[in-house]
Amino acid sequence: MHTLRDLLGKMSVCSGVKSIRKDYPVPTVTIDGCKVRVKKDATILDAARRAGIWIPTLCYHPSVPCDASCRICMVELDRGEWRQLVTACNYPVRRDITVYTSSERAQQARRGVMELLLAKAPESQELKELAKRMGVKETRYPKVTESQRNCILCGLCVQICEHIIGKAAIGFAGRGVDKAVAAPFRQPSEDCIGCGACAAICPVGTIKVRFHEEEKEIEISPFKSRAKMLVCQECGSLIASTPVNEQALTKANLNSEEFRERLRLCPKCRRLKTVAQLGAVTFRKK
Amino acid sequence: MISVSTKFTNSADIETLAQKLRIEGGPAAKSVRVCIGTGCAAKGSRRLYELFCEAVEQSGQDVKVEAKCVGCHGFCERGPIVVVEPGQIFYQQVEEPDVAEIFRETVMGGRVVERLLYEDPNTGKKAEKADEIDFYKVQERIVLGNNGLIDPTKITDYIAEGGYKALAKVLSSMTPDEVISEVEVAGLRGRGGGGFPTARKWRSCREAKGSTKYVICNGDEGDPGAFMDRSIMEGNPHSVIEGMLIGAYAIGSNQGYIYVRNEYPLAVEHLRMAISQAREFGLLGKNILGSSFSFDIRINRGGGAFVCGESTALMASLEGRSGEPRAKYVHTVESGLLEKPTNLNNVETWANVPAIINRGGKSFAEIGTEKSKGTKVFSLVGKVVNTGLVEVPMGITLRQIIDQIGGGVRDGKSFKAVQTGGPSGGCIPAEHLDARVDFDELTKLGSMMGSGGMIVMDEDTCMVNVAKYFTNFLKEESCGKCTPCREGLAQMFYILDRITDGEGQVGDVERLEGLAELLDGTALCALGKTAANPIISTIRYFRDEYDAHIKEKHCPAKECRGLFRYEIDSEACKACGICMKNCPVDAITGEKKVPHVIDQEKCTLCGTCWEKCPFAAVLKV
Repeated sequence: MHTLRDLLGKMSVCSGVKSIRKDYPVPTVTIDGCKVRVKKDATILDAARRAGIWIPTLCYHPSVPCDASCRICMVELDRGEWRQLVTACNYPVRRDITVYTSSERAQQARRGVMELLLAKAPESQELKELAKRMGVKETRYPKVTESQRNCILCGLCVQICEHIIGKAAIGFAGRGVDKAVAAPFRQPSEDCIGCGACAAICPVGTIKVRFHEEEKEIEISPFKSRAKMLVCQECGSLIASTPVNEQALTKANLNSEEFRERLRLCPKCRRLKTVAQLGAVTFRKK
Repeated sequence: MISVSTKFTNSADIETLAQKLRIEGGPAAKSVRVCIGTGCAAKGSRRLYELFCEAVEQSGQDVKVEAKCVGCHGFCERGPIVVVEPGQIFYQQVEEPDVAEIFRETVMGGRVVERLLYEDPNTGKKAEKADEIDFYKVQERIVLGNNGLIDPTKITDYIAEGGYKALAKVLSSMTPDEVISEVEVAGLRGRGGGGFPTARKWRSCREAKGSTKYVICNGDEGDPGAFMDRSIMEGNPHSVIEGMLIGAYAIGSNQGYIYVRNEYPLAVEHLRMAISQAREFGLLGKNILGSSFSFDIRINRGGGAFVCGESTALMASLEGRSGEPRAKYVHTVESGLLEKPTNLNNVETWANVPAIINRGGKSFAEIGTEKSKGTKVFSLVGKVVNTGLVEVPMGITLRQIIDQIGGGVRDGKSFKAVQTGGPSGGCIPAEHLDARVDFDELTKLGSMMGSGGMIVMDEDTCMVNVAKYFTNFLKEESCGKCTPCREGLAQMFYILDRITDGEGQVGDVERLEGLAELLDGTALCALGKTAANPIISTIRYFRDEYDAHIKEKHCPAKECRGLFRYEIDSEACKACGICMKNCPVDAITGEKKVPHVIDQEKCTLCGTCWEKCPFAAVLKV
């Protein structure tokens, strides 16, 4: 008996292969003994996910370019006479390859990297959980770098701000052990629209969104960038960051006065108003 | 000097001009060549050149003498160097007052000024010519050969010495494939450190898809104590340009870049001049020498980051992004600069190319060992008698370089180790001095060829401290992109710092080894992967020094402060009181005619007494 999920999975594999077979070879990845076929230039991580094999990742996110900077996804690639440690997230599969994700050496490498990260960001709950799942109880290393508290410098926040949000309000500052994510000159950024995408994508929970009720502002911590919030005209609650709204309206081409009217209320008050309006209409018909 | 304003339009033009220039500057022509390489210039050779120019002017119209500045001769220890023609008379340690004498005696009178000649310290024999000196005897100067002969600011000098002949040959009679085959026969391997076969790289780039291709010259030399590429770019920039031209023709590229450190202003200036002169002569630009091949070069100055010597970081920097490496799972010959096929070679590699074409690949391959062909330039520095720039055939032993060329260890001390390969290399101890210098042999010993730094260390050098120095260098120069390099180097430095401070713990060596293995396996680029080499090689050969630091809290080389004591040798002490007067904490007591004593409780180990004692009676124990 097949579950729906299995069937769907098979369908997608078949259709995927059929559509690409014409021009491109379809390499097979043997991953921990499990064979999967992927499109040429797919990554080992893609193959592993297809095979249902878990590889830890931190700096990888499908929506932004891959930097392979955290090195937590190391796996062993069979090179015939020797085996090489490679990062699963960006190693392109170009021909049939054999990969080991749970070999002693691959696990050792990943755990070693994790220990270094734990020393860098000892307070991150997310990191601790991931470490536990990888079999790392604690780190042998003391905290020796002080560039930014609890940041693993994976760069996802920088990438999403530049590539998805299109603002580049934060970037890397400094080099080596002094490297940090910061807004220009480490001052609150005027380009930050307070969307919170950086906080949402941060894999270790270092970036946080704070609301300042009194000032009606949103703050992205630790960058100290602030943006004004839209306030509900009825109840006075905070709705969303004003610049985010503006950007959304422009992008969605919804910049009409009628639509703007709707945005002046929070969802709850808007619903109440809509109900009231509907009631009024019904009343008149009667 | 012949002024040439016409562009070369075919290959034969170069030979015609070269012949004309050679007749003009025949063997009887009088000239004074002043070295303006970095070492000599630092000792004031620029002023010497000006003085010689003045002397030439004052000598009148009837005598034809040419004073010119030339590139590094390599014998930096004995600079400033002045060579007088005819006769190739080699003067060393020339000072301003000597100029008049050299001019009067040698240039005008044809007599040798004995006291300025090099004197062999062992035999006391004076050497008139460079090749009579031991420092030069063992060397084989292919790349550096013209360095001391030509004025790097004059393209005609280069052409007179046979420059651009190889380019003419390639463009008039060789197909790109033939050029690559010639380089393959020569067995040339990348001189930047990796030792990758150059011909294979060129072929991959030639065969890569895409019509736009780039060639890059990596002049971002950053190893501490290394100045090989600097001397080539400063002293013979046209050899690099000619090499790039030939490579670009073979690969099918029309645009080249030279990436030079901003800290090398003279190299940038000379390369700029060389490029504009090559353009004037039609050696760069469209339809070079009347062929269909077009090529031009731009110079990019680096921002001073060591990591930008790594090829992908260099390309990122060229593109205007921050100099951080990327994974090389897709090679740069396939997708490099601006995602176009890109061939990057080091300065010295490019400078070897014209020599290969001129000599023929086969004859080039006769020099060297089975798998490492040709010569290698090393900057020989550290505790050695003759520091300088040396070019030796591959396969020469380390002992020959250090003892014969370098003249052995300075001040009669005993040899401890030689560090090769820059911060990514390792330290090789005395027992391996007879190892042959080639790519594979040095790697086997736990070091590497690298770009050619060679630092000699004597008995007073603490190997743990050496490892700490290089680890700190790399920690400072790490770009910080990947976790193992950024965090791992900081951890390793922390441990090494602890050991040299006398706070080492049992197990520290194993911790270092574990981190070293982690870096080797997981770091993103070669900088991180090889960063632990200085640590690993010193643990391998000098484990006892680590143990002494950790277990006995003692530094055998007496370099790590706090891990040795100062004591006064009561027999050597003349009770002069100098140490007592200079001690900042009044830790020394004594009276007239009674040997002084250091109170170990009070002593802060500052070392002032050791420095000031005129009788060397203060000992480190």
